[in-house]
Amino acid sequence: MKKILIYSTPTCQYCKMAKEYFTKNNIPYEDFNVAVDDAKREEALKKSQQIGVPVIDIDGEIIVGFNRSEIDRALGLKK
Amino acid sequence: MPIQKMYDYIIIGGGPAGVAAGVYSARKRLKTLLVTESFGGQSIVSADIQNWIGDKHISGFDLAKKMEDHITSYSDIVDIKLGEKVVSIKKIASKEFPGIYDFEVSTDAGGTYVGKALMLACGARRRKLGVPGEKELDGKGVAYCSTCDAPLFSGKDVVVVGGGNAGLEAAVDLLPYATKIYLLEFSDSLKGDPVTQEKIRTSGKAEIIFNAQSKEVVGDKFVSGLKYLDRKTNEEKTLKAEGVFVEIGSVPNSEMVKDLVSLDKYGQVIIDSKHGTTSALGIFAAGDITDDPYKQNNISAGDAVKATLAAYSYILNRGKK
Repeated sequence: MKKILIYSTPTCQYCKMAKEYFTKNNIPYEDFNVAVDDAKREEALKKSQQIGVPVIDIDGEIIVGFNRSEIDRALGLKK
Repeated sequence: MPIQKMYDYIIIGGGPAGVAAGVYSARKRLKTLLVTESFGGQSIVSADIQNWIGDKHISGFDLAKKMEDHITSYSDIVDIKLGEKVVSIKKIASKEFPGIYDFEVSTDAGGTYVGKALMLACGARRRKLGVPGEKELDGKGVAYCSTCDAPLFSGKDVVVVGGGNAGLEAAVDLLPYATKIYLLEFSDSLKGDPVTQEKIRTSGKAEIIFNAQSKEVVGDKFVSGLKYLDRKTNEEKTLKAEGVFVEIGSVPNSEMVKDLVSLDKYGQVIIDSKHGTTSALGIFAAGDITDDPYKQNNISAGDAVKATLAAYSYILNRGKK
């Protein structure tokens, strides 16, 4: 099973979509609220080199935003 | 020749206009196709919509889901192509009726569909500044979603470009986080709601700059500032900031239909507001792609209903003398 980390903010609708997508596909993930967690906010920025959420880390592969086809590819899911 | 399937009504778009058109079309038992990249329209990014009639509070995410659920419940008569993008629309002369056209719609997934009538509910997308640095620093301090990204600018100085409601709301989203907010407005007054203006003015964090024309987003790896022209003094000035939120309105998604229907000077599809008809027989439009002056979810839905009822009557009677 691939390890999935999601860096999100509570008001971000694309973050919700991403999380729901993983849940729907029965894929566990760890979620960090970077609105309150300064250390994780820095970590997300370092990993993505971007200032934006969601940052999704799939076994070290970084995807910024809810991009379904990129997520599918990183997960090895068929479209 | 690709396989074609004949529909009564083809709807392009899955925002409030597209979904409302689909629901009404389904209830008229029109054979319907709805093509959309996603459901919910532009307000999907909104964390809290307070003016969708019937819901005191609803998030853009939940509204999108409700819309998807509603239209999917008519899947016996409405085919939905979700995640597909329309790449071309062509008029083809009807074999049945001289002078009448059918419409051929092709998508990036390779589908080709033909319909007797067309509903343009493609909406609009965010307008960009179109200045140097904006594209290069997109996601590196240049942001278009304040509800998503405001908390990432904790303790930083930011610029919000645009003094309409969207700009004011972005500033409000940033108030709890940013140290200082520069609100830039091109004209000499703010267009957004007075209540929101008051919230910003009394925050002590915001500085409103009028007559400002953005010139360049400055920065190397990340945004470090915004260069603008003071239109009164003709002086170029640079604000130091780590974030630039762009909230300067929208552009209609009408490029694809520019040769099919008449557009106004803003690229909006000109409609007759009684029936949602366009300059082309058989093509209807509703929502943010049109020249309707008020861009609102409720209006988009209502206008799409009008247009769909008109389309129903058109489909029944087309070719009849």
